[in-house]
Parts: sequence; structure tokens; C-alpha cells
Amino acid sequence: MAVTGAASFLGVNLIGMLEESDSVRSIVSLDVTAPRTAAKKTRVYELDLVDPTAEERVAEILAAEAIDTIVHLAFLPSPTHASAYAHEFESVGTMHLINACRRTRISKFVMWSQTMLYGAHPTNPNFLSEKHALRARRGEPYFSDKIEAENEALRFGKPGQARIVTILRTAPILGPTVDNYLTRYLGRRFVPTVLGFDPLWQFVHEADAVNAFKIAVERDVPGTFNITGDGVLPLSTVIRLVGRTPLPLPRSVADTLGGTLWLAQVAEAPPAFFDYLQYICVADGELARKVLGFRPLYTSREALIEYAGAQHLRDVKLLSETPA
Amino acid sequence: MKRQGEKKKRKPVPRAKPEGSRDNGKPTAKAAPKSRPARGKPPKRRRGGRKAHSGTKPPPGARGGLAPAEAELRSGLELEMGEAEVASEEVPELGLGTRMVPPNVIFNEGVDSSPPPRSSTGGDVAEQIRALEARLDGMMRGARDLPQAAPEAPKTESVAAPPAEALSDSAYFEQHWGRTGLRNRSEEIDDFGLDPEYEKKTRRLSEFLYKSYFRSKTEGIGNVPADGRCIIVANHSGTLPLDGMMLRTALRLEHPVSRELRWLAEDFLFYLPFAGVFLNRVGAVRACPENAERLLAKESLVAVFPEGVHGIKKLYRERYRLQRFGRGGYIRLALRMRAPLVPCAIVGAEETNPLLYRFESLASVLGLPYIPITPTFPLLGPLGLVPAPTRWRIRFGEPINLDSYGPEAADDSLLVGRLSDRVRSSIQQMLESGLRERRSVWFG
Repeated sequence: MAVTGAASFLGVNLIGMLEESDSVRSIVSLDVTAPRTAAKKTRVYELDLVDPTAEERVAEILAAEAIDTIVHLAFLPSPTHASAYAHEFESVGTMHLINACRRTRISKFVMWSQTMLYGAHPTNPNFLSEKHALRARRGEPYFSDKIEAENEALRFGKPGQARIVTILRTAPILGPTVDNYLTRYLGRRFVPTVLGFDPLWQFVHEADAVNAFKIAVERDVPGTFNITGDGVLPLSTVIRLVGRTPLPLPRSVADTLGGTLWLAQVAEAPPAFFDYLQYICVADGELARKVLGFRPLYTSREALIEYAGAQHLRDVKLLSETPA
Repeated sequence: MKRQGEKKKRKPVPRAKPEGSRDNGKPTAKAAPKSRPARGKPPKRRRGGRKAHSGTKPPPGARGGLAPAEAELRSGLELEMGEAEVASEEVPELGLGTRMVPPNVIFNEGVDSSPPPRSSTGGDVAEQIRALEARLDGMMRGARDLPQAAPEAPKTESVAAPPAEALSDSAYFEQHWGRTGLRNRSEEIDDFGLDPEYEKKTRRLSEFLYKSYFRSKTEGIGNVPADGRCIIVANHSGTLPLDGMMLRTALRLEHPVSRELRWLAEDFLFYLPFAGVFLNRVGAVRACPENAERLLAKESLVAVFPEGVHGIKKLYRERYRLQRFGRGGYIRLALRMRAPLVPCAIVGAEETNPLLYRFESLASVLGLPYIPITPTFPLLGPLGLVPAPTRWRIRFGEPINLDSYGPEAADDSLLVGRLSDRVRSSIQQMLESGLRERRSVWFG
């Protein structure tokens, strides 16, 4: 099997897990750098999906290594100012990868996606099922590129072709070692929120997220699945459990201030993300439990507490290791 | 000696945790044993040490109890006496200062647990040294064996007053602010956002409204089944929709098994700041088929107001005349989920905030369905929205069972329309008979 984005948080941990499991004979790592967990099973290829010749190279590698399963994790875990690069990387990069897969005999394609792509709307049901349309703001490249990539994968997995395409939409990933815009947002002393709103949030523990990919690699289950932890928490409780102070701002103020801070590269996320501070975006993980056989070990609350424990140590400089 | 030195070097990492960033500097291998006794609060230690040398037995639980042991740690190390047998006993006690213990409670714990070994040291030097050795060993082991130390942590949580030192720690405040911020809220809520603690606080208000303010009278509550899924279909009224909350209170107070009701609330409430959050915490759920199906699948009792916004925005002259029942979504729901319907008529709620006129053009700018004009509302400001103390009468009708139709009937629009009309007219009849029986708006 091959893993793209192997040096990302999910990639590193998935390779680490598969190195120790007997279900996979060999692993090919495709990324710009080598994952630190690569051991004797893993062959590292340095490859950039943004490269115009990436398709050619991937096809060559896939053929040479006789790869049947690909896990596509090459997505940005946090919004970036380099939106043009992000577009090339996520949307076009996925296209390159999938075209390369079309050329060779790939039997399984597993892709990472996020429940955030459903979008936060007041009209959302409390639990979004996989059938729900992806309604995240198209104006925000972080979402639109990922939605395009997912559509590309869905076209690749159209029924009738003898291919298994599994898309795992993870809830926001939280845990002691992961680092993304969410952990940085909750790491602030004063956490901005939207005045008068307290949406329900949901998390998945990093170990559960990685485990979900392992299950998807080991079992042949086509389809799209929400990977979530059990239970929901109101945002105010989330902030209190991490021991932070909420800073409620009216939405209009938050938009202006947040937009300015984002341009100044101080804020973690552009104003489009304030939707998630205002409205609900919680997914239903029932299908993954029933069909994929994924059982989360941690509830949303436990994932948050694990994160908070590590974050407190980082706050007082007792934990110096930088999160992945 | 070398072995111990090595361990010492490693120790600052776990040991340092509870003590804040105080000793961040890495001690060298040589300095490590020397710095050992100096760690923490040196002045106190010395005081305690002197006491021990003078031979007086300090009372158990005295401050600085840890001191003599630590003060003579160095000599213990240098002498390198034989292995201590007591080591294993001391491990749990000494392992306390490790990772899992929150910063504010460490000090207390140390104080509480230290006296026994020290009192046993008496005057015998060899005995003393041996105990110290054991202690040191235990400390090292404790520092390493986190899993062993972990179970001890919960015990320390019950410490009542934090020591003065902990109060200077900013982490302490952060932690406790976090707790006080949640004092009115439960830490765990249900899937739909009902907050039991918060609801308990608002219960007093809703029970006051139900019992004393509206002096509600409930009839036919026995028609609501004692268990299993069920849909209550009610008329919607009042400029401020209090009927959902009152219905919930009625079922809790009056129903023989005090059933918990969740009601489905209009979309627009969830666009509004504060309102949506409040309703969500006290038991309202956004009205949509997915939510209703999920609730019914959990065998709960769900109240729907099929009139929706049209029910609450009807003018005073249209009172108690049921508006259109939407597209009959609740009938489809009942058919698909095989849930019985209980019609319910609420009389009295229409007069709480009689709506004389509604502004709709301006309201859309504010994201509201309308701006109400009542005899009191813009006139008295927000106070004008206080409901009038009318007397309420909540009547539940005979349950309507749709089991004779299969779940596939939900796709038959004609049938759904016909069933919806039937339910609607039965509620209308109940309303009218309720109005006929009513003598006065205020006294029922």
C-alpha cells in the first residue's frame, strides 16, 4: 500500500501503526519529506503532488511497487494564507493522484476528509448523516478545495468499477500530540466566541482517527463515513474544560476583527470559520460503527480532556516537545 | 552511585511538573544530588531539619514534615548503606509528587503523608540513614512508575483549602475559573443539548409559571402513553411561544410516570442570539425530520406544533383558529416511525401577549419573522413582553393510531393530507369545546 502525505500527523501515525501490524506487507511513503516512523517495511519516495509531472511519477511508482491500496492524506490540517498553493496541493494534487491511480491497477482508495465540510448552519439537523450535502462556505478555499477533492474521489469510485473508494470524514481531531488550528485556538488564554451563541461541538481523539484509517485499510468497505467520538459538548463547556476564558464578541465585530487579525497573520483561521462558533455542525458516526466496524475509544469529552492535559503542560513549559 | 546520578538527571522532568517551572534549569550530574534537598521550599526544610536534630518529635501533620529526610539525603547518598527493605512500602507515598497530581494539591499531600516515617527515625543514625535511603529509592521509583502513582491522584482531589503557595500559581486560578464558569452548567449534556443542571435552575421559573402564574389545568393526561415513542400535536400560540415549555412542565408534574418531553422549535429561533441557546439547554430541539426521527427512535415523547411560525404570529382576532398544518411532515413522521399521535389543545395561551399588528418588512432585516405590536410591547419596552396571567387549560385527546397504514404510506401525499386534516379538525374541536367551557380568560 501507499500513503500520500505520509509526513503529516495522520500519515506518520498510520505508518507507525501499520509497521507493527501484520495486515500490511509493505508501505510506500509519498511525501516531500520522510515520515519519522518509517521502518523496515516502508519505502520512502520524495514526491510533491504540486509538481506538474507528479501524475507521471506517481503512476511509475505505483506500477513499480505493484501497489493495490492508496491512502490519501495529503491535505492541509489548518487554513493557510497560501491559498493558491493550497488549491494546487489539495484539489489539483488529488486530481493528479487519482489520474495516476486510473492508469494503474489500484483496487482501493482511502481518502481523508472532514465533517467540517458539511458547514455550520442553523438549519442543520443535530446530527448530520453522510447523505447530507457538503454546504461549507465555497468562498473559503480551505473548504472548497477539499470539497473538490472529495468530488474527484467520488467520481473515481463510481459504482460499476471494481474499485473500493472509502472516504473518512473525521470530526475535528484533538489529542495530546496533534497540532492544528483548533489546538492553537483553544490554546489561547482568551478564546474568542460569538456573543449569544453556544453551538454543540464534537471531537475525535487522534488515536481513534488514526485507527479509523487502519480499519479502512484492513477491511474492504466502500463508502463515505463520519468518524466521530461519542457525545457532544457546548462550546462554552469546551472552553471551560480547557481552563480558558471565553471572549464573546458580536458576530459583526468578530468578522472585522478576525478578518484583520487573519490578514495580519495573528489569527488561526479566517472569518469563515466563525460560522462554527455560531451554528451547529455535528456529524452522526453511526454508519461507521455499523458498517465499517469503527468503535471510538474516546468520547469527545475525553479527547478534549486529553488535549487539555497536554496543553496545560505546554503552557507552563513542562512539555517542550512540539506537537506534530 | 553512577546509577543514581543518572536517574537524578532524568528526574527533573517528571518531578518538576507539580512544582511549576521553578527548576527548569537542568542540573548537571554532579550538582544533581546536591540540588536535591534544595528543591521546593528550602527555608522550611531547614527549619524542620533542625527540629529533628534536637530530638523533639513534631506533631504529625506539621508543616515541613518532609524536611529532615531531605536534609540528610546527601549523607545518605554518600554513605551508600545497604539496600533498604522498606522501599516497597514507601513507594506509593513518595510517588505522589509525580505527573498526575494537580499543582495545587501536591504540597498538602506531602505534608499529610510524611510524618509517620520520620517519627520512626528517632535518634538511631544508622536507622535514620536506612530510612532515608529507602525514601530516596522510593522517590526515584515513584518518579518513574507513573502508572503506579496515578491511582493515588484522585484521593488528593478532595483537599478543601489550597495552600497559600498554590494561590500564587496562575495555573491554579485558571483551573478554578474554569470550574466556577461551569457552576450553573452540567459538564455533560445529552445529544440534543439539554443541560440537566441548567434546566434544574430554570425549573423553578417554569414551575412557577405553570402552577401559580397560569394556574394551568390539565385534562386527559392519561391519554399520553406511559412509555414508548409518541408524538403530541398541539396548537401553537402566544407571541412569545411559552407553550412548549409549559407542555414539558405539565408532563413532568402531572403525568403519572412524569414523562420527559422534548419539543420541536422553529428554525428562526436558532438564528437568534441567546434564544436558541437558551431553548436548546432547556429541552427544545430544532424542528427537522432527522432530529424528530432520532428522538422517536430513542422512544421519547416529542411535541410538535405543526402550525409553526404561522401559529405564533396570528393576530388576536384570529385566535384559536388553527392555521395550515404545513405539509403534514408530522404525519409522515408518525407513519415512518410508527408512533401514535396525541392531539392536544392549549387554551389560554393566545391571550398572554395579544398580537394587534406585526411588522414584517423591518423584521426581516433583524432576522426575525415579525416584530410584534401588542397592547404593551413597544410601549413598555422589554417589560411589555411579560405574558399576561391568563388561566391555561391543556387538554390531551384520545391517541390516534396510524399503525393500520404501513410505513410506505408516508409517500402517499393524498393520504398524508387527509390524515393531517383529521388531526387538525380534532384539535380544532377540542379548542372550541375548551373555549365554550371557559367562563373567564383570567379565572378559567
